[in-house]
Amino acid sequence: MPRRRVFNPLTELLAAALLVVLVLVVNTWQFSLAVLVAAVVPGVLFSGKPRQIALAIAVTAGPLLVSSFLLHGLFFPEGTTVLAEWGPARVTAEGLQFAALTGLRLAVFTGVLLTAALTVSIPELVSTLTHRGWNRRLVFVVGSAVGLLPHVAERSRQITRAQQARGLVVGGSVPSRVRGLLMVSVPLVTGLLIDAAERTQLLEARGFSSPGPRTSYLPDTDTAGQRTARWLMAAGVLGFACAWYAVGAGR
Amino acid sequence: MIRLECSSFAYDGGPVVLSGVDLAVEPGTLVHVVGPSGSGKTTLARLLAGQTGAGNGAQFRGALTLGGDRLEFTGGPGDPRIDPAAWSSTVAYAAQRTEGQLSMMSATVAEEIAFGPANRGMPAGELRAAVQATAARLGLTDLLNRDPRRLSGGQLRRTIIAAAVVGNPRVLILDEPFQGLDADARAEVARTLEVLRAAGTALVICAPMLPGAAPGHSRVLALVSGRPVSDGTLGQARTAGLGRYAIGTEGSAPVVLPDPPQGWAAPAAAPGVSVKAGGPLAELAGVSFSYRGEGARGQAEVLRGVDLRVDPGDIVGLTGANGSGKSTLLQHLNGLLRASSGTVTVAGRPLGRRTATGRLAGAVGFLFQDTDQQLFERTVLREVAYGPAAAGAGREAAQERARTALAAVGLGHAAGEHPYELGFVERRLVAFASLIASGPAVWVLDEPTAGLDLRGRNRVGELLLGHAAAGGAVVLATHDEAFADALCTRVLELKDGRILSGGARRGAGGA
Repeated sequence: MPRRRVFNPLTELLAAALLVVLVLVVNTWQFSLAVLVAAVVPGVLFSGKPRQIALAIAVTAGPLLVSSFLLHGLFFPEGTTVLAEWGPARVTAEGLQFAALTGLRLAVFTGVLLTAALTVSIPELVSTLTHRGWNRRLVFVVGSAVGLLPHVAERSRQITRAQQARGLVVGGSVPSRVRGLLMVSVPLVTGLLIDAAERTQLLEARGFSSPGPRTSYLPDTDTAGQRTARWLMAAGVLGFACAWYAVGAGR
Repeated sequence: MIRLECSSFAYDGGPVVLSGVDLAVEPGTLVHVVGPSGSGKTTLARLLAGQTGAGNGAQFRGALTLGGDRLEFTGGPGDPRIDPAAWSSTVAYAAQRTEGQLSMMSATVAEEIAFGPANRGMPAGELRAAVQATAARLGLTDLLNRDPRRLSGGQLRRTIIAAAVVGNPRVLILDEPFQGLDADARAEVARTLEVLRAAGTALVICAPMLPGAAPGHSRVLALVSGRPVSDGTLGQARTAGLGRYAIGTEGSAPVVLPDPPQGWAAPAAAPGVSVKAGGPLAELAGVSFSYRGEGARGQAEVLRGVDLRVDPGDIVGLTGANGSGKSTLLQHLNGLLRASSGTVTVAGRPLGRRTATGRLAGAVGFLFQDTDQQLFERTVLREVAYGPAAAGAGREAAQERARTALAAVGLGHAAGEHPYELGFVERRLVAFASLIASGPAVWVLDEPTAGLDLRGRNRVGELLLGHAAAGGAVVLATHDEAFADALCTRVLELKDGRILSGGARRGAGGA
């Protein structure tokens, strides 16, 4: 079930970015945990594609989390409160606390940013930027990359099938799989480059880099209220950050 | 309206690929540019589209006249540069390959059509009206909310044409707009084009063959090796004897020699394939198949209880509309798809769930519809030698078989080239040679003649007859009815996943 879109993509992306800033500024494991439980987990659950996002988070953040806990949990030089000890490895309370801090922070970053990135509607974002009169080139680069992903996946599947039909046997062993991957990548990249060259000509012909104002087929989903809210949110986080550092410096 | 005078055109440092052309196209007229592969059709189309290649080192000597403006080119650095955006507002161009023609930025067909005018700043109200009007003219209204990446071939072509003509250009250039389309989709696209022409758009259509059915008023320019050999009405072109230049007419029967000359026949007696005498080479018994995870449609059956027996000497043609299950059936023959129920037997052995497709390559060769996704090596020779090498032949032996297969398709001279540097027809024949080189007894071909010129089509016909005569068998899916009628020993029609007609056995064709 796709998520019902409530806010404009710009508002959503800004909110995600500000949340990350807040976590960086406050920098305590309790706050990170609270954000994780109160914002990230519900966000993922109600995103419409919780499995996909959870998988993406696990793949990106998982290895880092595990290594962080092993490293800081077992070998934290500044640690004094020793909970357990095996030879050179010492589990210290400070080490665990540090690992929890960095781990939770990382979980919030990946959770917030991946949820925002994987649920944002690229056409709506481009449309919003057009209506606001901003430069869309960067968005186009990112957006077309996202738009291309399913296309690339389908293409590599087709190429693998063609190679199997010609006698490629991809077995279960790692070298065999790596070889299969390499065999797919050459025609895949060649094909994508040829497509890209043709698409560049098409984009030029259809006026993508023409100077002057442009319009958008999609209606403007941005509202005056959301624009105000974005300014207020940004100002609020900035003010909070200044106050937080001022208080911290005064202590 | 638009006029191209090309005294010579060459790509960066290459030979002259187009010369001696003087083509003027008036509003509301239709010009067919025909010629075999490599005759310069695409170059001509690109020049009309304003792609003179000045930035890429190409040398164009001649002139382009649009409306009252004449641009002269001398092949030097001082030549005028054409602004593609400004040019395309008058002269729209739809290239041969559809993959690179979508902006990849649009979630719906409507946004794709609106992409061009939106970039030019057409006000939102007008933009919507223009998209709606274009869609209504071209019969695309029902598709406006569809994802352009998930359209059928005919729908995608029409979307690309709609996106090209939404700004009401006065000229539309199309490079092989009918390639790979079935009869219904071709008719759809043809209707679309006639609507545009009747409204005054000048049309230029490039294709390898003369159109089978086209309005009598259309004009034909025939190119051979980059030079015009005939320029006149369609009627004149039909009687001009273009056959000697390997320019045929769509829908005509292929001309095949009953006894292919030495060296053209497929390598006989496929090595490594042993078949019990009298047994079928491949057999489908009661095969049903449905794609898993089809969403709302549930487990819609694509094949329903199909029986098919392929014996030595058979050339079995499968016909039927797009989506009737032809490709699905073919993919069961080499294990790319596994039957949901029923059995598939290849070379006397039933196909188990765990038989790797790669292990069947020596018994069943498969030619895919999309050529470019099956070429992956650096040279044509390596490409063709891949199959035999994967089957365990030594490097020398594999290359020897590759050379024989290349000679069989008439590409012996191209062994050292990069597959992507060849033209479409040659790439198709390279893919065919790769299949032949592995020496399978059964050839499974998906649309083997799509996009081929007369010579390529005849050559494929000869290869099929030679293979069947040598004791092999062929199963092909095709929209080319004349080809199937001329060559197949049986033609089976598929509809909704069932074989409709019994396909009475006939003698193999020939001219």
